[in-house]
Order: sequence, then structure tokens, then C-alpha cells
Amino acid sequence: MSNALEVTNLKASIGDLEILRGVDLVVPFGEVHAVMGPNGSGKSTLCHVLMGKSDYEASGDAFVDGVDIMGMAVDERARAGLFEAFQYPTEIPGVTLDDLTEAMAASNPSDEGYAARESATTKTLSMEPFRERFVNVGLSGGEKKRSEMYLLGVAKPKMAILDEIDSGLDIDAVREVAAMVEAMRSDDMGILVITHYSRILRYMAVDKVHVMVNGKIVQSGGPEVAEELESGGYTELQAANAR
Amino acid sequence: MTAPAIPGTDVPDWLVARRSEASRRLGDLAMPSEREEIWRYLDLDFDPAFGSAPSQPGVAGDSDELTELWTGKVVSVIDGFVTDRGASTVASVSEQIDEGAGNDLFATAYDALAPGAVLIDGDHLSEKVFVDVQTTGVATTFPGVHVDVPPGSEASVVVRFRSTTDAPAVVVPRLTADVGDNARLALTVIQDWNYQTRAMARAVVNLGRDSGLTLSEVGLGAKIGRLHLDVNFIGRGSWAKIYGVYFGEDDQTLDYRYFMNHIGTNTRSDMFLKGAVEDDALSVFTGMIRIETTGIKTEAFQTNRNLILSSGASAQSVPNLEILANDVKCGHGSSVGPLDEDQRYYLMSRGLTPDVADRLQIRGFFEETISKIPHRDLLPWIRERINTKYITAQEEGRV
Ligand SMILES: Nc1ncnc2c1ncn2[C@@H]1O[C@H](COP(=O)(O)OP(=O)(O)OP(=O)(O)O)[C@@H](O)[C@H]1O
Ligand SMILES: [Mg+2]
Repeated sequence: MSNALEVTNLKASIGDLEILRGVDLVVPFGEVHAVMGPNGSGKSTLCHVLMGKSDYEASGDAFVDGVDIMGMAVDERARAGLFEAFQYPTEIPGVTLDDLTEAMAASNPSDEGYAARESATTKTLSMEPFRERFVNVGLSGGEKKRSEMYLLGVAKPKMAILDEIDSGLDIDAVREVAAMVEAMRSDDMGILVITHYSRILRYMAVDKVHVMVNGKIVQSGGPEVAEELESGGYTELQAANAR
Repeated sequence: MTAPAIPGTDVPDWLVARRSEASRRLGDLAMPSEREEIWRYLDLDFDPAFGSAPSQPGVAGDSDELTELWTGKVVSVIDGFVTDRGASTVASVSEQIDEGAGNDLFATAYDALAPGAVLIDGDHLSEKVFVDVQTTGVATTFPGVHVDVPPGSEASVVVRFRSTTDAPAVVVPRLTADVGDNARLALTVIQDWNYQTRAMARAVVNLGRDSGLTLSEVGLGAKIGRLHLDVNFIGRGSWAKIYGVYFGEDDQTLDYRYFMNHIGTNTRSDMFLKGAVEDDALSVFTGMIRIETTGIKTEAFQTNRNLILSSGASAQSVPNLEILANDVKCGHGSSVGPLDEDQRYYLMSRGLTPDVADRLQIRGFFEETISKIPHRDLLPWIRERINTKYITAQEEGRV
């Protein structure tokens, strides 16, 4: 059986700057994994390279549900079932969230579940007042994250990567997001949560924690890895994995 | 040059005098020089054929989608002539305002040859008015519209320029408005000439004390679509919000020269224009904020954003400030560039094809301005026209 996400020896660079130096990662369907790592270690780059952003020179393999996505354009990867919740969601002036979800549904006509997921996720996240607003424009940091979670609920991908979905959220919002991730856990989805804090991991059951340092996964283990990092920090791991 | 006769009997003396005086001057004037800054982006190598100004209107075009959307009064101006009963044929435009329209070749030709402007005044303004200005294939015409808003009243006027044939034409429109003390004017101009038309429009608005103007221009058509606008903030406390959307394709030149002349104290202007160009089109916006010594406590802002959608297209965006008074606040922002890559990436990451992502971005770009236009019943038509221009360019592989 295929996995939600399989990444093998993924490398990415911009000019002479090597950012990802051979990432290996497997997220099986039904599991929630976390990636932790210091600032600048390449976590967001991993998201963007998997999503197909053109800024990077990339090599290596990546499969979503067994489908090779590396040769695909960004939108094809999304339609193949990959979703990225952005660390810094882009503002789209003049385009409402409803305009966007309408276009998402139209671009994926074989999936008839959009309307139902829209109303369900609107309820879960109390999104009603935001749907008529322009995408991410004038939203607070926390509201932007909520909006990304809403789009995740509407898109219902096979593989979701949530890049610091907990950053800038107050305690209640972190709990709410964790609960939603938990609620989304299902046999037909894999979830990768990128975070700096073990805080969010307290409210959801992660199956595995991976530590990224200098563009590589240097340690993988159970939830206890997050606890160890919380007390010990990254210093030792960084020293051992210097470029 | 002698002007064609004006139909009707009650042609006022001032108009007869103006026409003959201007006719004398017209003979000595040449085409403006492209070396002058104010004309520099226009290709003026054409024959204005002023001698072909008509003495009667051609056959009016049918009503169309836009007039059918309209719920107020409609007045037609055909080849420069007011054809509807109930609207005055000749406007008693104040001298001050006509002098403000300048004395270059085109302004003088208008003064010499225009059969008069349609007057939209207190008698009409109880209802909103749509002025349907048409050219019917005549080589050169001089349509005029004057709006006179009495003190303390509110007026809502749309002026739509269109061609009823594909024939090339020169049009010299003049649009003037006097907004009385404490009055409000919402004026929307839709420029939809055919692509063979060279339109050299001149607009002047005088604002009385504590009066307000919301002026929106939608630039769609014309080979040369020029609009030289002066807003004179004469009364203290007067204000204007100026909106613009334009989309150039083909070899269109859309040339906007906007002058905000702050004369009274405590006056305020806001200009917000957004445009896109593709193919070989050129757009020009120069916003001049001029604050006279008397214009103390003026606040004046302008923003002009331009999207360049193909490599042959270009946009000039030049903010200008001339400040002679103290204690004023001014600001300007201007940009010229391609569609935003980050927006495209974000939208594509939601599963939208690049074409659909760009359409959405274009729609959003213009929506920020279109949504400000007060004539809400026309907005679906405006959106549709702008978006269709873009989608056609996509389908034909130009963007
Ligand atoms: N487009 C880019 N241009 C130049 N450098 C980049 C680009 N994208 C990433 N980098 C560099 O690559 C490194 C990794 O960045 P990345 O954003 O992936 O880190 P991160 O792990 O997500 O950090 P954080 O925890 O702060 O979000 C950084 O040094 C960053 O400056
Ligand atoms: Mg990051």
C-alpha cells in the first residue's frame, strides 16, 4: 500500500546556497507527524519544494499516494492531493475567501464534496464573518492561520503539510487548531505538522516527531523527542550536524 | 474656418460670439507638439478633419445592455447634438469653466465648432441621469455635457461614450460641472469608443464650499483615449474622490492627465487609479496636485497602480506635486509591474491552474477600485467588460 507522502533524498538549493541536503521522510495514511527544527533549518523550504515553488533547484523523489509529483506544476500537485498551509499566507486583495473556494471547486469538478465541506468547516471554525472578506487581507496573525485551516478543511487533501500553523496563536486557538487536526485524522489522509513548540503536540497525538537541522532530518522518534528538545534545545544537534 | 449652423432658433448670443471668436483663432493653431510634456506620449500624426463637423446628428444607435441596466433617466447626445426633448440643447456654461478648458487646438476647435453642451441641471437631477453620448460614423464631432448641481442638492450622473459603427473618428468631448455649495455630485464616465477613435476629452469641475465630488472613469475603448481633467477646489472644505480603472489592449493609448487644483482652505483630494495594459497598449497617468498659497490645510493623496501583461505594453505613471501653501498633507504611491508571483503561487497551491489564478488576481486587482464606484447597478457590466478583455487576451495567447 502506498503512503500519503514519501520523500527520498530531497535536495534543494538557490544559487550556491544548499538549503535541503537530502531529506528522507515517510508519512503513512492515517498518521500525524511533526517536524521540529531551529530557525532557518529548511522546514518552510521543504514545504515549498514539495509544493513545487519555482524559486528552487530541486532533486530527489517525492510521492503523494504513490504518485510522483516532482515533475508536476504547483496546481497539479494540489490536485494530486497535496496541501500546504502557509507559514506566511499570501494576501489576495479584491478576492474573497468565497471566490477562492468557488474557484477551487471549479478546478476539481470530479469532487462534489466542496459545498458540504465548506459549510461543515465554516461551523467548526466559526468562519462565517471571514468568507466575504478578501483572502488574508487585514487578518490578524491568528485569523490567517484559521483561514488556512478552513481551506484545508474545504480542500480535504490526501497529504496536508501545516507550516507553523500554531505560531502566533493564543492558547485557546492552539487547542482549537490541534482539535481540528485531530478531527481530520483519517485513514485517507496523512498530516505533517511543522512547529517550533511542543505546546501544540500536547493537544494532539502525534505518531512521530522528526528533527530537521541544516537541511536534513537528523533524528526521528516518538512524541518523547519533542519533550527532549523542549528541555535540551537544538544546540547539540546543530553542533553535530554542522554544514 | 466657419462653423456649421446650430439647429433651433434660440441660440444665445454668448454662444454665437464664442464660436466666431474661436473660429478666428482656430485658423492659426497647429497640432500640439509631442515635445510638450503634456502631449508627449500621444501619436498626434493624424488629420483632425475639423472641417467635417456635422450640422445635424446621424442615426442614433439602439439601447444596449448598459442602458437597460440603468434605472434612471436617459439623455442622448448624438454626434454632439442633444436629441431628447426635455433636455436643453445648449448649456449656458459659465465662462469661467470654459476658459478653464484651455486654448490648445482641440479646446479651441470645441469652442468654435461644438453645437453646445447638454445641460443637466436642477430640473433633471431629481432623478439620476445617464447621458448616452454616441458617434455614428461622422469623422469629427464635439459632444459636450455640463452638469450644474444647485447648492445643497445631490446629483448622480453617468456619461457613457460609445461608437455605433466601426468607422474611424475624431471626438473632442467636453465635460464640465459646477457643484454648488454643500452639494454632492457622483459622476461616472465610461469611455467605450471603438478602437479607431481618437478621443481628446477635456473635463473641468468647479467645487463650491463644502461640496463633494466622486468621479470615476472607466477606460475601455479608443485608439487614443485621452482625458485631461481639472478639478478646482474653489470653496473651502470641498473634496473629491477620483477613481479610475482602465484596460488597454491592441495599440490603444489611454492618456490621463489629472490636475487637482487646491485653491480653498481645508480641501481634500484622493485619487485612486488602477490599470492594466497588454499587447502593444500604452497607458499614461500623471496626477498633478497643485496647492495654491490659499490652500492651507489641504490634504491630497494619489495612488496609481499598473499591471504590464505583455512585453510590448507599457505604462507611464508620474505623480507631481506643486505646493505653495504651508500646513498641508500629501502622499503618493505609484507602481508599474507584472502580475504578482506570490499571489499566483498561493492560488495555484490551492489547485487553480495558472490561467484561472491570474484571472482571479486580475479580478481582485480591479475590484479594489471598481467596488468604490457609486453607480452600483453598472458594476456587473464594468467587471464583465474588464474581465472579458483579460480572458480574451489569455485565450489568444497574448498574456
Ligand atoms: N527564496 C529564498 N531566497 C533566499 N534564501 C532562502 C529562500 N528560501 C529560503 N532561504 C534560506 O534558506 C534557509 C532555510 O529557510 P526556511 O524558511 O526553509 O527555514 P525554516 O526552517 O522554515 O525557518 P523558520 O523556523 O524561521 O520558519 C534560510 O537560511 C533562508 O534564508
Ligand atoms: Mg519556516
